[in-house]
Amino acid sequence: MTIRARLTFWYAAIMFVSLLATGVLTYREFAPEPNIDTAQQIAEDASDFREILRILFWCGVPAGLLALGGGWWLMKKSLAPVAGLTQAAEKIGAQNLNQRLPRTGNGDELDRLTEVFNGMLARLDDSFKRIREFTLHASHELKTPLTVLSGETETALRDESLSAAERERAASQLDELRRLARIVDGLTLLAKADAGQITLAMESVRLDELVRDNFADVQILAEPHGIQVKLECCEEISVNGDRHRLRQLLLNLADNAVKYNQPQGSVTMCLRRDWNFAEFKITNTRQGIPAEILPRVFDRFFRGDPAHSQTVEGCGLGLSIAQWIVSAHDGTIKIESATMKPTTVAVRLPLDIH
Amino acid sequence: MRILVVEDEKKTASFVRKALQAEGFAVDVCHNGDDALAAARATPFDGIVLDIMLPGRDGLSVLRQLRERKNTTPVLLLSARGEVNERVEGLNAGADDYLPKPFELVELVARVRALTRRGGETKSTVLRVADLALDTLTRQAQRGEKKIELTAREYRLLEFLMRSAGRLCGRMMILEKVWDYDFDPGTNLVDVYIRRLREKIDEEFEPKLLQTVRGAGYMLKETP
Repeated sequence: MTIRARLTFWYAAIMFVSLLATGVLTYREFAPEPNIDTAQQIAEDASDFREILRILFWCGVPAGLLALGGGWWLMKKSLAPVAGLTQAAEKIGAQNLNQRLPRTGNGDELDRLTEVFNGMLARLDDSFKRIREFTLHASHELKTPLTVLSGETETALRDESLSAAERERAASQLDELRRLARIVDGLTLLAKADAGQITLAMESVRLDELVRDNFADVQILAEPHGIQVKLECCEEISVNGDRHRLRQLLLNLADNAVKYNQPQGSVTMCLRRDWNFAEFKITNTRQGIPAEILPRVFDRFFRGDPAHSQTVEGCGLGLSIAQWIVSAHDGTIKIESATMKPTTVAVRLPLDIH
Repeated sequence: MRILVVEDEKKTASFVRKALQAEGFAVDVCHNGDDALAAARATPFDGIVLDIMLPGRDGLSVLRQLRERKNTTPVLLLSARGEVNERVEGLNAGADDYLPKPFELVELVARVRALTRRGGETKSTVLRVADLALDTLTRQAQRGEKKIELTAREYRLLEFLMRSAGRLCGRMMILEKVWDYDFDPGTNLVDVYIRRLREKIDEEFEPKLLQTVRGAGYMLKETP
């Protein structure tokens, strides 16, 4: 039961009871003293009593109904700012914490509530900003020592006097440094995206050409794992987007589909037009992802299956980056999975209408 | 060949200098923008490696100043920020190439080499390295008398390698020019394609043309 309905009900009930009380008191005030006990008097009294009951009923019911209707309207009027507040608050997420709820400015309780709420949003916004700035600065600060480290390791590798074992060690360090560099790159990209500091180079892009290029590469990448790659459909489709980021999106998804697969498994891709959207689906024969972790697969550094993650190399940011790219193109990305069924990632991007 | 390296981080400047010197370049180093402008005015360099983040006058401003003075020395920008916008901004300001930090040294050296050889590209439609020929019009490859079938990607890779024949090509450079990727995909795509290409152009032939340079690059070269 909503507050509005509850308050209206109580309002009408109080109205009705007070009317009843008024009726009873009026009757007591105006009724004749019952001192002469004749039959005629008793009959008159009884008819007076019925008359008053009748009046009470015919006044009480409309008054009650009026109170009910009026109350409903009154409640609606007084609670309208709350409904507005709810709607506005619902739209605020981590991405638009800088928005504020509209204030009436009349200084009433709800205006005060809005003010307090806006204050809370401002504090939240501030701490989110600090975290973003921290990530951005951290990833930026890491780049200089990383450059020095990998540069010096590379220089050391060129030293002819190194023994085979030393060379092996330096080469392995260089590999790890490169992995670290990729993680830092991914983090910088996401931190910048969070802070809204990336402008995409939008142009009309033939998505089917990118998908075909990607298909050729993924076939090559999947070969050593014995995984079959199929391109089921590839309709001619143009979207308005950033060519490099779309390539990155396709490669991230495909690379993921190959890495998280079973030996002799398969990867199927399909690009088709669906209404005003380009729909790209990539399905792999992966053991189903448990429903409870499904919503978290786009989280940064999230690895659903600890046993699996040991064997899979990657920076743990691929799907987060994919999700950012899709949302930056006003698209949606969904992952569908169930036990014993293949896993599908579906991306929808708005078509280029021009 | 004389190169100016402008980098405020001393250690980075030092190994960049060593790597370029090892390749036979003469190298001057500056640690801030004003010194760089003065040095570029005093000496004609064949190329400038310019860090964007510098104390005082930043790299982009140095670059704009250079171009305003009609100085056309090829410039390779280095940046720790490494974002697409910055790449575009840098190229618009007159840079010839852009490399995000952290970079691989071979990559840097390869790009500096490419910079200093700009303009010397062959105009012929048939590229040749030893007895390997690639017709860029018909997209036909041939080694000796044998015709070689190439996929579209293999063709683009071979064309790029042949156009930079004799020069070291870093992985990122290949990804950028052949795959049109401006990010490190963290896969071994380049190595796999090189292996396939090698099977086609080198396996049954002597001498071997496609060489792996230890560290992180490849080179197509006539004499080993």
